[in-house]
Amino acid sequence: MANIIDIIAVLMMVTSFAVFGLRQYRHSILAYASQTLLLVMIFLALYFKYGTHELLIWAGTAFIIKVLFVPMYLFRLVKKLGLVVEDEPVGGFFISPVVALSFSLAVAMMLYKVFLHFSLFQDVLPLYAASFIFMMGIFGFVLRNSFIKQILAYCLFENGIHLSLALMAYSSHELVEIGILTDAIFAVLIMSVLAKRFYAAYGSLDTSKAVNLRG
Amino acid sequence: MDILLLILTVPFAFGVFMFLMPLHFKFLQKLHIVLSVIVSVILLNAVGKVVHGEELSMFHNYIFLDSLGAIFLSLIAITGLLVNIYATTYMKWELEDGHVNLKEVKNYFALSFIFTWTMSLSVLCNNIAFMWAAIEATTLASVFLVAIKKDKKSTESGYKYIVLCSIGLAFALYATILLFSAANGKFDGEAMLYTNLIANAESIDGMALKLVFVFALIGFGTKAGLAPTHTWLPDVHAEGPAPTSALLSGVLLKCAMLGLVRYYAIVANGVGFDFVQDVMIVSGTLTLFISAFFLIRQHNVKRMFAYHSVAHMGVIAFGLGVGGAIGLFAALFHCAAHSFTKALAFCSTGNIARIYGTKDMTKMGSMIRIAPITAVLFGIAICSLVGVPGFAIFVSEFLIFKAAAIGGQYLLMGIFAVALAIIFIADFSHFFLASFGKVEGEVVHNSEMKLSENLPLIALAILIVAFGIWQFDSFTLLLDESVKSIMKK
Repeated sequence: MANIIDIIAVLMMVTSFAVFGLRQYRHSILAYASQTLLLVMIFLALYFKYGTHELLIWAGTAFIIKVLFVPMYLFRLVKKLGLVVEDEPVGGFFISPVVALSFSLAVAMMLYKVFLHFSLFQDVLPLYAASFIFMMGIFGFVLRNSFIKQILAYCLFENGIHLSLALMAYSSHELVEIGILTDAIFAVLIMSVLAKRFYAAYGSLDTSKAVNLRG
Repeated sequence: MDILLLILTVPFAFGVFMFLMPLHFKFLQKLHIVLSVIVSVILLNAVGKVVHGEELSMFHNYIFLDSLGAIFLSLIAITGLLVNIYATTYMKWELEDGHVNLKEVKNYFALSFIFTWTMSLSVLCNNIAFMWAAIEATTLASVFLVAIKKDKKSTESGYKYIVLCSIGLAFALYATILLFSAANGKFDGEAMLYTNLIANAESIDGMALKLVFVFALIGFGTKAGLAPTHTWLPDVHAEGPAPTSALLSGVLLKCAMLGLVRYYAIVANGVGFDFVQDVMIVSGTLTLFISAFFLIRQHNVKRMFAYHSVAHMGVIAFGLGVGGAIGLFAALFHCAAHSFTKALAFCSTGNIARIYGTKDMTKMGSMIRIAPITAVLFGIAICSLVGVPGFAIFVSEFLIFKAAAIGGQYLLMGIFAVALAIIFIADFSHFFLASFGKVEGEVVHNSEMKLSENLPLIALAILIVAFGIWQFDSFTLLLDESVKSIMKK
């Protein structure tokens, strides 16, 4: 079981890089859906390994909300706006993923040791993956100019936090997970509405054009 | 019925109710005022119970109201009510000028109740994860109070607001998770509850607590407007409608600060006050000087006040950094003083923008002749913001000096004095520019607002002066009890 959990954790890291790096929106959203499916699988694997009933419920809610609802909503948004490829990111399409990958690996290397010290589950690779995915999400906001990619970056770091929560605090009240998930869904919905407005106002989703309020 | 249950349900129900109302402005206007009064009465009733020594809690102590929360709940009640009343006047002007339509006004009124609900929830949460979720929800509830229009600037401000606050608060969530995992199993009782965490802080690993506080400072500090993650604040506060800016600056920033204060209390009692005080001094000093630098260059009246919000969050952080009973008292008092002051400041910008049709102070002038009451209200806000004796903010700033002097922290006194001096010079030069001399631009509305329209602003001005010259026993009791609870004395 430990091997399966580690393999899933590595696959989650690979998919986070795919969400960040793929230029076509549809591919990027598919990568996010795959990552969330892997997140559900890791919850189930942890349930079978440790017998933690809470994670079974977490897997169910994550599947409905994050594997089905959020990707479908984002697909619809991309289709409605008629978008295919994202805008040029900071530093270009090649440099941007390299910077994000190297810095995320480095920061995760520092963070996971701290988390491991206090974590309820002592699974090294998933803890490392959680920190890595969180940082990839943060770098997604910093380095990608496309509003849709920034929404996906939010989803990424939310997945990183969700995995950390499962590993470090699964025994907290179930309402905690519901509260955090509810916030995440509303955040995606509101950002999507803003993305539509942004596209209508600026004629693109390139957030580097948002420079009217400096000073 | 339990008063906490009323707080958890009524504002939300009013918000939904408002969404369902017909598109008739006068009806919506009156309904908004009546419902706002009801919400405030409920909130103040709960505060009154805490003042009289009642312990309020529900849902297995997941929801509670302590003296610390009561201070902030009273701000939501009082500042929130007066700003909401002013919002009905402001929206009438916006409607008349064709800047918004009736549906947008209705949505605005409805969302302001949802916003009040999320802020109240953040104050009432004893469970730190719920508190995080509620503070994140305040961002989500207020995005469309900021981005009420669909133009470029409005959309940009909404985008910056949600993106930067969400990133910042993600760190606060990590702080929450780390705190829970570090505390879990170290004592009897649930490790997610603030009351349990502060009572057993000594048993939690010190290194973990230090990391938790750094994460919490990044997270809640972003939302509260502490430098260097304050960059969303000037854009959002300057671009939103005047009542939204007043609510964000007057109340919302304080709710985020409450989140930080709760972590401050837990960590201070776990690893000692020196660590949290040192961190807050650095944060406060950085915030004060960065905001003072930008403040001096501003000519947009709302942007100027937005940088003031950053500066005064710096003052609160500085107060927490100076520490001791007096420093903590001053920091908490400053939350209230700044709430009233900034609400008045931003609401008066609504009047000013109506008079001149612009927010650019270089195009204003002679306000004292055109609209004397607005000019006086604007002057009261400025006097309080720079800490003139007799106004509320003077009290807290004086107490911070006093706390530093008692602690022998003379260098900190000097740093604080320099920062306040820069802010003082910047503010009065701007005030004179707008209020006296001749008009450089055009005057769109060449008369004072009606007295009824200015009433909420006058009430705020009275509060600012009253808190500057008078000691309110109930409020002082809440402050004293809060300081004792933070210091566990």
